[in-house]
Amino acid sequence: MKISFPYMGTVIIYKKVLELLGHDVLVAPRPSQKTLDLGVKHSPEFACFPFKTIMGTYIEACEMGADTLITSGGHGPCRAGFYGEIHKRVLKALGHKFDFIVFDSYARDKEKFIRNIKKIKGNNSWLKVIKAIRFTYQMLKEIDRFDKWIAKNRAYEQITGSVNQAWDEIQKMFDLAHTKKELKEAIINSEKLISAIPLKEVQERNKVRIGIVGEIYVVMEASINMEIEKILGELGCEVERSHYLSDWVDHNMLPSFLKRSHEEEILKKGEPFIEIEIGGHAKQTVGHIVDFKERGFDGIIHLMPFGCLPELISQSVIPKMSAQYEIPVFTLSLDEQTGQANNKTRIEAFIDLIKNKKLSNHQFSA
Amino acid sequence: MVKAYIGIDVGSVSTNVVAIDENANVLFNIYIRTNGQSIDSVKKGIESLKQQLDHRKYTISGVGTTGSGRQIAGVMVGADVVKNEITAHAVATTYFVPEVRTIFEIGGQDSKIIFIKDGMVVDFAMNTVCAAGTGSFLDHQSERLGISIEQFGDYALASKNDVRIAGRCTVFAESDMIAKQQYGFSKPDIINGLCQALVRNYINNLARGKKLEPPFVFQGGVAANSGIKAAFEKEIGHEVIIPSYFNVMGAIGTAILAKEEIQKTGKKTNFRGFHALQTDFVPSSFICQGCSNNCEVIKVKMNGQTVAMWGDRCGMWQEKVSQVVI
Repeated sequence: MKISFPYMGTVIIYKKVLELLGHDVLVAPRPSQKTLDLGVKHSPEFACFPFKTIMGTYIEACEMGADTLITSGGHGPCRAGFYGEIHKRVLKALGHKFDFIVFDSYARDKEKFIRNIKKIKGNNSWLKVIKAIRFTYQMLKEIDRFDKWIAKNRAYEQITGSVNQAWDEIQKMFDLAHTKKELKEAIINSEKLISAIPLKEVQERNKVRIGIVGEIYVVMEASINMEIEKILGELGCEVERSHYLSDWVDHNMLPSFLKRSHEEEILKKGEPFIEIEIGGHAKQTVGHIVDFKERGFDGIIHLMPFGCLPELISQSVIPKMSAQYEIPVFTLSLDEQTGQANNKTRIEAFIDLIKNKKLSNHQFSA
Repeated sequence: MVKAYIGIDVGSVSTNVVAIDENANVLFNIYIRTNGQSIDSVKKGIESLKQQLDHRKYTISGVGTTGSGRQIAGVMVGADVVKNEITAHAVATTYFVPEVRTIFEIGGQDSKIIFIKDGMVVDFAMNTVCAAGTGSFLDHQSERLGISIEQFGDYALASKNDVRIAGRCTVFAESDMIAKQQYGFSKPDIINGLCQALVRNYINNLARGKKLEPPFVFQGGVAANSGIKAAFEKEIGHEVIIPSYFNVMGAIGTAILAKEEIQKTGKKTNFRGFHALQTDFVPSSFICQGCSNNCEVIKVKMNGQTVAMWGDRCGMWQEKVSQVVI
């Protein structure tokens, strides 16, 4: 069995849990132009951008010899709920032979969830499965902690590229850790690595903080969101995303009695604007806007795949929120288009707007 | 010697060059059709600036670039400021019309709306999906109707009947226009209908129900078109101001920013000088084979030496030459 999965964010996590269970794991290449070309070619025209990218990734994985694909399902009325099924049909039509395992929320179909777990479990003992999941979960928490540090401090690096470089190395170190002891070492070494990066001293009131909200795939996967965190870092902004894998796992994979309250709280904050679950991450999007504002962020960038239904709804409540909370929000719709000049212009102008507002260091006068 | 500052706006359709003095009085301005040759147009613009600006009286103390070609123009001339066109436009407009609240800017390939409060940008929007409602589309239609774009406004104002044309998408607009033309409507009526459709689309697409507050300023190349101005005034029911330098506002804005930058930092300008433009300046591109992204990397050589590179997603090439600061 050669397992592969969609490429989203820090993929070493999915790789790790499968490896610990003794599977042969194939990590598909990071989405590239080729991935998009393949995905667009073999997807229905109206499907959203994440669907097409993931389609491309699956094709690449199958061509590289994967025979099992694992993915998470969508929930709620968002089209993503059908995506597993459509992906499967397209791949079958292309003549690929594979087993397709879709993990939906535990609450939605407990039996199927358990059945899927059993497939992954293979001949391993339950104890081993639990250990593997616990280990990976711990690792995930740690790596997300570093991820957050990176996005926050990229703006202040003294040597251009030093923070990005450290992040690459941290991921490599975590990738090589397979035991508790190795994980501990990776954490210690990563701490050492980042504390050695020379950073600029910036006064608290001169810091600009941007929250990124929106649909999970375009928020988390840098290769398809124009590496927005890097762009913002170069423009001198601290960045935090609304989605980290560990939050997603907490919210979707743990049975409700184990659930941490963070995501629930966020959802509650969004309720005055979007009352019911409309699928995708629309509720999270509005909730996070409130949350970021409460935590003193200066602006929000809202990422959505072009034509994403739930995010179109959140987009239309955003002007109201923006006025009520007095926080600038900028919506960026992403698609296969690679020309970035227009988007970069707008991001730059948006950051100018925030900086002018915050720092008032610029009077438009001659 | 009097200090002068140059602003260059390299847009899709036009390249504009201005020179201003310390008090932002416009000493020189030129509007050149880019015709797909941004380097040549910048050279042409700077060349005529050199001829017309009295170099015994003025010394160039700062240069700014903006527009979609701002990066390459910045490398060429040695810019002190390379700024996005939204900020540049806002800076210039608030200088000429300090109390402005809403700016309509329609250029060749894009259109923007900028909301200003207390002289600062508070919100903006830029067309994202379609070129409907930009200068290029009007250009194309005037060509199809066999009239020059300069006459477009006069035709629209001569209209006697209202003709409804769909404005959401150029494809629909064009087929609507053809249908109306086949019904026998006059050219002025069709052109006026098109102007109104364009404005309707602009307001729907960019303003998106946001409150539009006067004073309104309309600028960009399309502001030359009196038909569009009239359509704007009809749609919003308020007078629309067109500044005297409406078609070079971006360039003026970036010149003002360059001036401020130099004054703030006290640095000497990076301007390469007029003679530098005669030097061999060659952009080229190659497909990087480093990974499956196959990025098209743009390389700019000056006198055989690489001075700038961009276009790579990973930053591998950019790091190899000192990068232009955006």
